[in-house]
Amino acid sequence: MRRALVVFIAVLAMATLAVPVQAQDKPRYGGELVFAVPSQPPTYDGHQEETFGLIHPVAPHYNTLLRTDPSDKTGTKPVGDLAESWTISRDGLLYTFKIRSGVKFHDGSDLTSKDVKASYDKIIFPVEPMKSSRKASYQAVQAVEAPDATTVRFKLKWPESSFLLNVSSPWNFIYKADILAKDMRYYEKNIMGTGPFTFVEHVKGSHWVGKKNPNYWDKGKPYLDGYRALFISSSSAQVAAVRGDRAHIQFRGFTPADRDSLVGALGSKITVQESPWDCVLMVAMHHEKKPFDDKRVRRALTLALDRHEASKNLSKIAIVRDVGGVQVPGTPYATPPEELEKLAGYGRDINKSRAEARRLLKEAGVPDGFSFTFKNRGIPQPYEPIGIWLIDQWRQIGLNVKQEIIEASAYHPMLKRGDFETAMDFACGFIVEPDLDLHRFASTSDANYGKHKDVVIDDLFQRQGRATDPEERKKLLRAFEKRLIDEEVHVLYTLQWHRIIPHSSKVKGWTITPSHYLNNQLDTVWLAE
Amino acid sequence: MGKYLVKRFLLMFPTLLGVAILIFVLIRVIPGDVVELRLAGDSSSVSQELLDRERIRFGLDQPVWKQFVTWMAGVVRLDFGTSMWTGAPIWEEIKLRFALSMQVAIMATIVAVVLAIPLGVISALKQDTWVDYAVRIFSIAGLATPSFWLGIVFILVMLIVFKWLPPMVYTPFWVNPWQNMLQLIWPALAVGYRYSAVATRITRSAMLEVLREDYIRTARAKGLMQKLILSRHALKNAMLPVVTVIGLEFAFLLGGLVVTEQVFNLNGLGLLFVQAVAHRDYTLIQALVMLVAGFFIVVNFAMDMMYAWLDPRIRYR
Repeated sequence: MRRALVVFIAVLAMATLAVPVQAQDKPRYGGELVFAVPSQPPTYDGHQEETFGLIHPVAPHYNTLLRTDPSDKTGTKPVGDLAESWTISRDGLLYTFKIRSGVKFHDGSDLTSKDVKASYDKIIFPVEPMKSSRKASYQAVQAVEAPDATTVRFKLKWPESSFLLNVSSPWNFIYKADILAKDMRYYEKNIMGTGPFTFVEHVKGSHWVGKKNPNYWDKGKPYLDGYRALFISSSSAQVAAVRGDRAHIQFRGFTPADRDSLVGALGSKITVQESPWDCVLMVAMHHEKKPFDDKRVRRALTLALDRHEASKNLSKIAIVRDVGGVQVPGTPYATPPEELEKLAGYGRDINKSRAEARRLLKEAGVPDGFSFTFKNRGIPQPYEPIGIWLIDQWRQIGLNVKQEIIEASAYHPMLKRGDFETAMDFACGFIVEPDLDLHRFASTSDANYGKHKDVVIDDLFQRQGRATDPEERKKLLRAFEKRLIDEEVHVLYTLQWHRIIPHSSKVKGWTITPSHYLNNQLDTVWLAE
Repeated sequence: MGKYLVKRFLLMFPTLLGVAILIFVLIRVIPGDVVELRLAGDSSSVSQELLDRERIRFGLDQPVWKQFVTWMAGVVRLDFGTSMWTGAPIWEEIKLRFALSMQVAIMATIVAVVLAIPLGVISALKQDTWVDYAVRIFSIAGLATPSFWLGIVFILVMLIVFKWLPPMVYTPFWVNPWQNMLQLIWPALAVGYRYSAVATRITRSAMLEVLREDYIRTARAKGLMQKLILSRHALKNAMLPVVTVIGLEFAFLLGGLVVTEQVFNLNGLGLLFVQAVAHRDYTLIQALVMLVAGFFIVVNFAMDMMYAWLDPRIRYR
């Protein structure tokens, strides 16, 4: 009897405890999400701009044709946003999207396929004087058609495996065709979308406010009454804002030290989400300058790096962590760890690698103590610690490296001029997709700062992009990777950036991804209190 | 007096022209331009064709002299053009920040004047007593303490001790005075303290000098009340250098509180200035420099008028 009573009490206690957990997991309506944005939108037009300073405050006003699944941590699964469903022709040259019915713009007018076509025409075939920052990503598209009010068709010139993710781009807001027909520049200064939040105000340099769209097509969403983006450029002020409960979250990322200070101060009031980040620092080596025209020298530079040890140590002080190949670890086309370790500079035996590096340098006629200049971008995180680490590693194979810091604003022109022997190169993607991440390594790319010419790389890049079978694509990517960072060492990858988002534990329904451009529509986000 | 003021007024124009030429040339000497920066973003892959097209749109393909003439033609009509970064009219970019910076400058000046003049006078009158030493320690500490550091201390104390942080969004005074004060009083105190330290030191030394003048001794000899001697004869004459310091500091505050604005996340002109330089937003930088230079010149002109009021010798010269 007594035992039965104990069991009964235990069951009752568990049931009591379970209630709040269930209640917590059920989205709660109401509240205003406040988030800090470290940058600012130059204009409001996502088709033209490049900064997350636009995406974070502006994305909640819009829908895109597809989006990446907001609950997927890899940010690589396309799901319908305005598209209810889609089909792909057998030859991979025709994509047909069925558009949802009942979607209204914030002014009450209906969205039709005409709006999708007009928006994509603006992105893919911009008419002078409009510019489109992502036109190059849609070179495969021959035409966009709207045969009826709920159908959009994309005709492709060649099959492209990245196409669905390309139309999931968070930048490709669907605008209203009638407005674009009257004024192509309207969206630079105005907001008119179909998204879960309507526009309230933007005070430049200060804040951006959106409120719940009561007529949102996805019934029951959004959960929030509204949101407020605070533009805060100083990282210490961002941390203070979260700590002082003036902001719930900052969607780009904090440093490990910021995370530790917030967790130390706020304990369970802070939830930390972390992910490998689709950003990476690389070393560009000028192939037309001696001795970097010699692939033995370039290989020696990568062999000198103890990436695994660096991962343990640098991740404590910088926004880097994982050792990765040409794709973000944990994503569909990432290099399996056992294959990665076979690449030059990725092995576990650093003494062996460095002995090989010294041998290669000697063979290439590079004397011990050889000096060269490494140019680095004048931004503290993570350029500064990575730069210091590189110099230390190269010194250990007898190279004497001078670091020259170039102010951030002057850095890109320096890279473009090719005014360097070795320099830090950088890339941040908005979706982890080989086509988007690797186009920069094509010989003809504007971002081929090291000026390599490699028809094998160009061919492999093109073939992987057109491979419709994922397994075949993986094989081609591995071959591309081996050629790029092992055999020819056209470029040298350092560590994958690591995204750290410590946010108020009140914030629910938001999942971190490798990209700080994704998951900012806020329709799934809710506040626990 | 009139001739003196007219001369001072006319001197404003060549000064402004000199500033305009200087800033126009200097900003173009720095490597990198707004187009590269805007299009490079977080990724560094941008086509040359796109860069060239944008440069043409902003008129950056034109010879520098032509760009200068076009800009000056706008300036004389008080049209500073549009921001190259945002495309918005310059005045729209500046007006909100101007209100905030001006308010912080005024509040900090009030804090400084309220502290500096009584403390400086008392310190001079009680020279070499414990009061004087206390004031001197207070003012030297103010001189040695950067205002942004004091700001960080304020923030940390508020966060750690009171679990509270000032509002991070500016509310104009006429909309909600309480919210406005909650946000701006802290930077005003942080900046005003350093500012008052400078003014206290100047007031003290100027008072000490004046108190030793023959006319003060004469006033005392004829039995004038100490209060009258101080207010009518000593303080007024000691105010010339103090007014100079206050004027210059006030003008500096309008665009010079870069770090303090970052610490308190104030959407002011200093921060806008830094962002404009970082973005190479030529039109905005030029407008801001002209605004701050114009403000300095106006404050200097006002100071010249005040000198004339304070010192009759200037009026009759």
